[in-house]
Amino acid sequence: MAVSADHLDRLARGDARADRMFRWSVAAAGFFVLIGLVGAAVTMAWGGREAFATFGLSFFTSDHWDPGNLVFGGLAPIVGTLITAGIALLIAVPVSFGIAIFLTEVAPPWLRNPVGTAIELLAGIPSIIYGMWGLFVLVPFLAEHVYPTLSQTVSQWPIIGPWFDGPPIGIGMLTAGIVLSIMVIPFIASVMREVFLTVPNRLKESAYALGSTTFEVVWNIVLPYTRSAVIGGVFLGLGRALGETMAVTFVLGNANRLANLLEPSSSIAATIANEFGEAFADLHRSSLLALGFVLFMVTFVVLSIAKLMLMSLQRREGN
Amino acid sequence: MDVIVSERLYRRRRLTNGLALVLSGIAAIVGLFFLGWILFTTLDRGIDGLSLAMFTEMTPPPGAPMGVGGLLNAIVGSIVMCVMAVLMAAPIGIAAGTYLAEYANYSKTGAVIRFINDILLSAPSIVLGLFVFVVLIGMPRQIGNALQDTTAGQAGGWLEGMANWLIDISGFSGFAGAVALGFIVLPVVVRTTDEMLRLVPIQMREAALSLGIPQWKVISKVLYRAALSGILTGVMLGLARISGETAPLLFTAFNNSFWNIDLGAPMANLPVTIYQFAMSPFENWQSLAWAGAFLITCFVLLVSVLARTLLLRKKMSHD
Amino acid sequence: MTNVQIAVHTNAATPEPASAAKLTTRNLNFYYDDFLALKDINMVVPEKRVTALIGPSGCGKSTLLRIFNKIYAIYPKQRAEGEIILDGQNLLDPRYPINRLRSKVGMVFQKPVPFPMSIYDNVAYGISHYEQLKRPAMDERVEGALRQAALWDEVKDKLKQNALGLSGGQQQRLCIARAVALKPDVILFDEPTSALDPIATGKIEQLIAELKRQFTILIVTHNMQQAARCSDYTAFMYLGEMVEHGSTQQIFTKPSKQQTEDYITGRFG
Repeated sequence: MAVSADHLDRLARGDARADRMFRWSVAAAGFFVLIGLVGAAVTMAWGGREAFATFGLSFFTSDHWDPGNLVFGGLAPIVGTLITAGIALLIAVPVSFGIAIFLTEVAPPWLRNPVGTAIELLAGIPSIIYGMWGLFVLVPFLAEHVYPTLSQTVSQWPIIGPWFDGPPIGIGMLTAGIVLSIMVIPFIASVMREVFLTVPNRLKESAYALGSTTFEVVWNIVLPYTRSAVIGGVFLGLGRALGETMAVTFVLGNANRLANLLEPSSSIAATIANEFGEAFADLHRSSLLALGFVLFMVTFVVLSIAKLMLMSLQRREGN
Repeated sequence: MDVIVSERLYRRRRLTNGLALVLSGIAAIVGLFFLGWILFTTLDRGIDGLSLAMFTEMTPPPGAPMGVGGLLNAIVGSIVMCVMAVLMAAPIGIAAGTYLAEYANYSKTGAVIRFINDILLSAPSIVLGLFVFVVLIGMPRQIGNALQDTTAGQAGGWLEGMANWLIDISGFSGFAGAVALGFIVLPVVVRTTDEMLRLVPIQMREAALSLGIPQWKVISKVLYRAALSGILTGVMLGLARISGETAPLLFTAFNNSFWNIDLGAPMANLPVTIYQFAMSPFENWQSLAWAGAFLITCFVLLVSVLARTLLLRKKMSHD
Repeated sequence: MTNVQIAVHTNAATPEPASAAKLTTRNLNFYYDDFLALKDINMVVPEKRVTALIGPSGCGKSTLLRIFNKIYAIYPKQRAEGEIILDGQNLLDPRYPINRLRSKVGMVFQKPVPFPMSIYDNVAYGISHYEQLKRPAMDERVEGALRQAALWDEVKDKLKQNALGLSGGQQQRLCIARAVALKPDVILFDEPTSALDPIATGKIEQLIAELKRQFTILIVTHNMQQAARCSDYTAFMYLGEMVEHGSTQQIFTKPSKQQTEDYITGRFG
């Protein structure tokens, strides 16, 4: 080497120092990511402690939400969140599944890429667009063409009847669920599609070689192979649906009470969005933060389950 | 006898298959139909409100006649906050992604951070907005108030100065909005950087190291260059994502009917403006809301398409 | 006689005179976690000669090669015990500065990995870390290295172009230029031609014959003919042990161990 040993030694020391500093900085950045999530949880919990302390268990069981008298029971928004997400998934999962199958097994090859890309792009459309479309297009449509018949006929049915016994004005949890489902479909569909694409071709080819129909290959080969990941994808969609604000705030109606599917109601995110800016009383603020904490914990659990299920497929792939 | 049975069986299998295929096709059509409907509505109503004035005039007061006013302050405010969010979050995200890919790739710490990061990726954005509110606005105000109470009577002194400063900065601000958006960009950049760096072949690291070059230089001068387009894609996808986010801005930047580029004060932004205008009864405002929605949709689609073509080109050059 | 033996007879013009040992290993053991992958390796790499490491897949020849520039050290589960003496000092001593080691011992890999930069920058990159050279001096060094790698004539007009535009064989010669630019004493080659077509392979082999006049060369190859063609000394490894090493002539015509003979004659591997 053309350089002196002395120079090399000095260089080595400088390099080691620089290496240490670099490593330290990137590690700090890594831990900062942890701060983001932990911080969110901690601040929600801390901010909500007053509400939890004041109302205790009734925070979760009472639907009496009265900012004027400083009484806050969060049952209505919690139920609203769960129901709208539930409706959304009920619609979105089969449709997404169908789309994913279409994209991976049914569609002719030249169609697959464009449609697949279209779906992925649509997954990126901001939720406020869905909300606006929901309010200005879907609500009037449903109010005029669907809900009147719905509330007249289905409300007479036993058991599920009362759920549909509301004024056909178009807003409410059912509409919110529908809007949410449309929003979540591209998301779940693209996750499912990616998951289906990981099935090794030779597995499918051997099934086809034995004379299986496309449906049988999907049902007997693809699905069992990807089962946990598919569930993971569904949970991922659920996590998204639970936390959505703008897509539902437009069409829920902001009535903080337990309602049926056709009446104005609320969700956690919508309540926070509507009230936090005007909440000046400490207890009001604290109650909203407490709701935020509940939402956060529920989403955290759902997303963790999703991640674990998706990871099990990755492990099989040898990632 | 056998032939009849097997033929019936075969026909049933064909029927099931046909039914399944038709259903999946219908699902695809349904999904695409609704998405198309939404895009069409945005296009249709948005273009109506589109005009040069949108880019040159400020938001009009409520009840102003049609054609008066534009979205300039909102557009500019959004640009300022999005750019700032990316400038803050991208370096941290790239550093954290580097940590994950180069230093903690197989360690437990790395696995935990990746897990948490993925959850942050799908976490409800309204919760992140609340988090930033509490940390940057709520807590400083509380501490400031408390400090003021304790120093009441004793004029001057640095404690009182601190109290005043805390109360001063604890209001809605463009900065807080940028921070909230930054927390949404962060996990996207972390994940993309992590994945892109891991795609760089090990031999390149080894080749650089065997020249005696220290690890920090190998990463910053060789690996980053190799993964550059991928990392850039991550940043662009993060930008596309935050340009339409409303919820996190609701209690951080809030909104502003006037021109303001002072990051310390409430800053006008497109999503919240759209929200406000769309929910209002004023026709002028509603038309502007659709125009804004159309603008955001175009921007998001444009950036997403750009990011994907960049990624595609990179993927092809690697094979 | 087997093909290999014919090759040795026809290509070994006159065997080179013996030379001093440049690298000596003593009681070298290598562990992947708890698994003992290399057992008690004792060998000598003579100065300014080509030494080939041969053996069937999994015998540990690449593992051994990678100890010589301590590239294994970046993987936490790998460690080496024993001594490797270079110019009187033990490389494996933790106090031996790693950048001194890597400036003395260069490496060329199986798959050509040019850096994502221009051809010029690829060669200059290593140099610039050690020395602050002004432009004319650096130009000289880069040209010198490219000439040594027999690449200069093909790239002298496109030094600023991205290195990824070169063919596979050219890329590999670029990697060689990158390594020789640091003026090391030893160059390690890890199956340098297995990813190349026969013509490119031939050029590299010719290059190695030239390079040995200035550098000590240790080359791992799974191609016995290549070892017979190019090397002066050969070491045969099997299942992590050094079975036999000596002059190529001797190994391929009169191996002293049965295992060596079995491998040479193609009975296994």
